[in-house]
Amino acid sequence: MTVLKTSMRNFFAHKGRMALSGIAVVLSVAFVCGTLVFSDTMTTTFDKLFAATSADVTLSPKNAPEAGDEGPRTGRPESLPASAVARVEKADGVKSAEGAVTSDSVTVVDADNDNIGPSGGAPTLAGNWTKNDLRSMEITSGHAPRGPTDVMVDADTADKHDLKIGDELRTIAATGDFTARITGIATFKVTNPGATVVYFDTTTAQRELLGATGRFTHVSVTAASGVSDTQLKKNVAATLGADAAEFKIKTQKETADDNRESVSSFLDVMKYAMLGFAGIAFLVGIFLIINTFSMLVAQRTREIGLMRAIGSSRKQVNRSVLAEALLLGVVGSVVGVGVGVGLAVGLMKLMSGMGMELSTKDLTVSATTPVVGLLLGIVVTVLAAYLPARRAGKVSPMAALRDAGTPADGKAGALRAVIGLVLTAAGVVALYTAAEADKAKEGSLYLGLGVVTTLVGFVVIGPVLASFVVRVISAVLLRMFGPVGRMAERNALRNPRRTGATGAALMIGLALVACLSVVGSSMVASATDELDKSVGADFIVQGEQQITHQVEQRMKDTRHVAHTTRYKEVRADITTPDGKTDKGAGLSATDPTYVKDLRRETTAGTLSAAYGTDAMSVGEKFAEEHRLKVGDKVEVAFDDGRSGELKVAAITSEEGTLDRGAMYLNIKTVEKYVPAERMPLSDMVFAKAAEGKQDEAYAALKATLKTDPQYKVQDQTDFKETLKDQVGQMLNMVYGLLGLAIIVAILGVVNTLALSVVERTREIGLMRAIGLSRRQLRRMIRMESVVIALFGALLGLGLGMGWGATAQKLLALEGLKVLEIPWPTILTVFIGSAFVGLFAALVPAFRAGRMNVLNAIATE
Amino acid sequence: MTTAVTTPRHGGTGGRTAVAARARQVVKAYGSGETRVVALDHIDVDIARGQFTAIMGPSGSGKSTLMHCLAGLDTVSGGQIYLDDTEITGLKDKKLTQLRRDRIGFIFQAFNLLPTLNAIENITLPMDIAGRKPDKGWLDQVVETVGLAGRLKHRPTELSGGQQQRVAVARALASRPEIIFGDEPTGNLDSRAGAEVLGFLRKSVTELGQTIVMVTHDPVAASYADRVLYLADGRIVDEMYQPTADQVLDRMKHFDARGRTS
Repeated sequence: MTVLKTSMRNFFAHKGRMALSGIAVVLSVAFVCGTLVFSDTMTTTFDKLFAATSADVTLSPKNAPEAGDEGPRTGRPESLPASAVARVEKADGVKSAEGAVTSDSVTVVDADNDNIGPSGGAPTLAGNWTKNDLRSMEITSGHAPRGPTDVMVDADTADKHDLKIGDELRTIAATGDFTARITGIATFKVTNPGATVVYFDTTTAQRELLGATGRFTHVSVTAASGVSDTQLKKNVAATLGADAAEFKIKTQKETADDNRESVSSFLDVMKYAMLGFAGIAFLVGIFLIINTFSMLVAQRTREIGLMRAIGSSRKQVNRSVLAEALLLGVVGSVVGVGVGVGLAVGLMKLMSGMGMELSTKDLTVSATTPVVGLLLGIVVTVLAAYLPARRAGKVSPMAALRDAGTPADGKAGALRAVIGLVLTAAGVVALYTAAEADKAKEGSLYLGLGVVTTLVGFVVIGPVLASFVVRVISAVLLRMFGPVGRMAERNALRNPRRTGATGAALMIGLALVACLSVVGSSMVASATDELDKSVGADFIVQGEQQITHQVEQRMKDTRHVAHTTRYKEVRADITTPDGKTDKGAGLSATDPTYVKDLRRETTAGTLSAAYGTDAMSVGEKFAEEHRLKVGDKVEVAFDDGRSGELKVAAITSEEGTLDRGAMYLNIKTVEKYVPAERMPLSDMVFAKAAEGKQDEAYAALKATLKTDPQYKVQDQTDFKETLKDQVGQMLNMVYGLLGLAIIVAILGVVNTLALSVVERTREIGLMRAIGLSRRQLRRMIRMESVVIALFGALLGLGLGMGWGATAQKLLALEGLKVLEIPWPTILTVFIGSAFVGLFAALVPAFRAGRMNVLNAIATE
Repeated sequence: MTTAVTTPRHGGTGGRTAVAARARQVVKAYGSGETRVVALDHIDVDIARGQFTAIMGPSGSGKSTLMHCLAGLDTVSGGQIYLDDTEITGLKDKKLTQLRRDRIGFIFQAFNLLPTLNAIENITLPMDIAGRKPDKGWLDQVVETVGLAGRLKHRPTELSGGQQQRVAVARALASRPEIIFGDEPTGNLDSRAGAEVLGFLRKSVTELGQTIVMVTHDPVAASYADRVLYLADGRIVDEMYQPTADQVLDRMKHFDARGRTS
């Protein structure tokens, strides 16, 4: 009991010093809980949506894509005959059956040719307005579509794009475009995370979206009262008899589950990525907690000695420190759980800004969230405090009698140096092995091993390195500040263990930043290099939808365009002479002009030969695997088409990342085997300008595509820019998430400084007495902080660049040929760290300056 | 006797006044109302230049407070303090810091040195802070005088208590301050080391013309001084010139007895 009481008193007496460690716990726990709440909320949102949108039983064609799978690549959804509706209606227990049309291969634009579809990856859905839709939506103004020129749009989209009844919308589908006026606006009764939805009357939807009246994409079956969905499904199947095999029949639950599964795989990736970053923040937080408790124990040495002298056992002292940690963990975690919920709400708002609508009505805090948060926060805090607690237990009763002075400075031990060196060396060997590996899988294993081992090695060796690195940094930076700089250097050096741990916290975050920025810019540099070397096309056209025939034709006819090349992906099962079959392989069907658009090296044969009738090319790896030579025949069974025997006319070498391992063949060859209506649309179209007419062709192509905002024309410069932007955006997101770890590390620097200032009260008093001005004192503390921060940055950036370079060497196997160190980024981070140091020292320096000289030097 | 104002005498260093520091009607009080404690009660005192002054008195007499106020470490509640002709009461922190740095030297009872700096760095610290080059000849002389020549590169932890205090004395002397204040400079030393340090202080007054004010409760230490001021209850109650240890002890006994009986 007394133990707890002293712990409580100590905890509250030092609440200021505990605050920063507390914030670290709060932030880490909040990150974890926020992630959990956010992903639970997303799941809830989608669950509600799917439950509301799927009918009791849904009948769809056998070859309809599963939720999350790619739909048919012909631009027209799979459909079933309208007669199915009448047949299903006859089944027992059916209250009603309704044919429905839905397509996501559409683009809807307003009168200004602006795409009204969502920008954040959600689909645009077009279909007919059915009774089933009334379950999830209600018409809030106007009326449902009645004729070929009527369209109804969802309210969120109408709001976002300022659409009113009477406005004209143009729908672009694979079968062509058509225009309709808005006659109604419908509002979702559940949260719609972001899809744009437009409705037509049934005939219009069938004609324009499917290209055929008398067909539907699915049938929504409603059960009569008292009939379960499972029963209904059985009845429907029974009614269809032998033809049931032609369809997929799913209950509401099955449809919702399938849908959820497709979403949850995406949500899970996001969740685990964020939890990973939360883990890094926790790791950094551990350093902060260890440091705080070490310093608190050191400062209380006399007090602890007294406790021991009057009869406290080692265990009791040990326990009292742990009890303090427990208190910190509990308080921090409880607050963290609360902040986490707030964070989730903030994240939802952020997602809304990015086009993903989420409603706080769906906010879901499951019971496991606070449990996980509390458990994690408390366990980590107590574990981190264990070492300092043990050290406290070792304080001898004699400590009470000795003059307090400054606590003994922790020395970096020789054992530590040896262990650290061995670990680091082992890590470097692993990294080297990874860089030299010729198999990606084995290499990545070594890379992971190397990263972890060097990190641990650096953490262990940190204090030893601190003495060396701080001296170097000081020699360059601090010497010019004379005695103040010298004292700052000495202060940073006096407890290498502390400086090491504080720097290590910063090191972890910055190492990851450096590593990823090296990999990212190597990616950009490699791709740019490759584009320069091998791309002959002037323009590339692609977009969120596949390219329709009409647009292809218009591009071909555009002035100043010398040629256009279509690029389609065709799926087929390929049987090689060795008897093996590669199922669902992707072939690149292009126009023969592609050889001019993308220059590929061959190891055998010529690429242009591969564009002959019934010919194709294969990649080097594939050829090796199946022992293929030029002239060999392979059996290609096209999806939705016939089989044919094709001759291998060329083998492409595997270099670079563009079209790596692609198998080329002429579109004309594919047309022989695949009927026109099953022919996939083009994924991309390349274009070459007429000699010397680049700019004119570019402008002309842009004008051609003005009415189709779903496609984008890019010249090589645009393309490189986009690539750079994409990588940049990805990196920025990662940096944002690492920001938390860095914030925690900064808190660590603040904490170390604040406690150092307290520890050196008398020293500071003495210096002030003999004439050190406040300004000089503050400068001294700031410089100490800067040195610690730069130490962490130097280690982190060095380590990270090493990791990044190794990763690049390994990825060179996958075509990432060019290593590019983003010096501007690295330098910015380094200089930024100096400012972080300055910033971290603000409050401690201010407080040191305020310190009363007399109190500081007064002898007890 | 409530004042200790000496007749100004010219001596020692040329054009300056013979009084290095003056206190006029200095009051120092803590708290207010019921809890008001008066540490210094309208004190007038002149510290003569080129002399070794000791301040004595029982615990709580205000001797340390007086020294802190004279040295510009503490603020006063009333009255004025002058260092030479500069009134230091009312100076802002920045000016006070400069004044302490350039014109005053300190020797504390303990914790006089920065553990991160070696002996010579500690000695030159005030000048380093000020950005002044130490006078090489003078520095050598000071180091010679306190007998630290072989130990200049040692860190404080590698020095004995006496050696540490000698470094502190050297530091105080090195910048040639107008006045050195010592707060029980020998309080933590054994008698031999204490005698050594006091010897240096005495020598610096006699031979170098340094002005020193020292707070002590040790009669032997006080006997090194030219003049002893006795404080009790925040007032100067007596003074003595050219004291011997016995005389000081007698006088102290007298005060103690009076303190107890009254």
